Amino acid sequence: MSISAHIAEHFETPAQQWEAANLGMWVFLATEILFFAPLFLGYLYGRTHEPQAFAQASHHTNILLGTTNTAVLLTSSLTMALAVRAASAGAQRALRNLLIATTALGALFVGIKAWEWVMDWHEQLVPGLHFNYHGVFAHGVEFFFFLYFIMTGLHAVHLSIGIVVILVLTKRAARGRYNAAYHTPVEVAGLYWHFVDVIWIFLYPLLYLVERYR
Amino acid sequence: MTSRPPIAVYIGTWAALMILLALTCGSAYLSLGKWNTTLNLGIAAAKALLVAIFFMHLRHATALIRLFAVTAIFMLALLFGLSSGDYATRTIAPAAWTKPSE
Repeated sequence: MSISAHIAEHFETPAQQWEAANLGMWVFLATEILFFAPLFLGYLYGRTHEPQAFAQASHHTNILLGTTNTAVLLTSSLTMALAVRAASAGAQRALRNLLIATTALGALFVGIKAWEWVMDWHEQLVPGLHFNYHGVFAHGVEFFFFLYFIMTGLHAVHLSIGIVVILVLTKRAARGRYNAAYHTPVEVAGLYWHFVDVIWIFLYPLLYLVERYR
Repeated sequence: MTSRPPIAVYIGTWAALMILLALTCGSAYLSLGKWNTTLNLGIAAAKALLVAIFFMHLRHATALIRLFAVTAIFMLALLFGLSSGDYATRTIAPAAWTKPSE
């Protein structure tokens, strides 16, 4: 390939420039994981101090939609990883189609999540806004759903930002901005997308799978 | 990057992720007591590792990148370890009744 990447002034080789961008995104992801961490810690506290309440609360989540959504997001990670691969191969059409597929799957996830939230509203399980639950475990159930909405809400915000980023990439890819020599934005966006997937990989069992055998 | 992993690697990883998802969902309906949570979190960790190694290219990354990835997990462990130690060693003692101040 005679296409060469433009190197910024402070880099010596394209490989060094790519390494810097890669490292930069990994550092950002490290800060993001610590952004979510306190929520998981709060969950750990609730789960260990009010285990029966958390189990009961988990039964009010929709396991069919939650599992479907997990499959949707994992598949979107596949399409994103294949998109990165297509970019590195200079396969323009495949790149564009895979980015569109990733966006579509991400949007599907957000749609399903919103549907779940609407159903939670109708069941009066939204702490602070519309919560009505009786029984000895009401306090723990409220705490669970407080965490549920904050965690899935924060996750959905991150996912939505990812969708916007990939839409921008799709537009630029359609103009042929990315090729075998330069596709750093696609790779780096891919890292962010996979990170959002990893967060959900842990959210799913914690929120949907508590004592399902009862 | 001139050498790319074959598409089969990505499809294979996705297939493994789907199998693990079925496993974690299905095993949730088995009464295993404390092992349900251990199994679910273990499967989640396995899925995360698959995504990190094959989709996020940690497999081909330089030592520097891998070090940063591991450091993030270490910081998580520090946060959970120390905070949990705090909560686990707290005794809740009710305060003695005191007269309200005027």
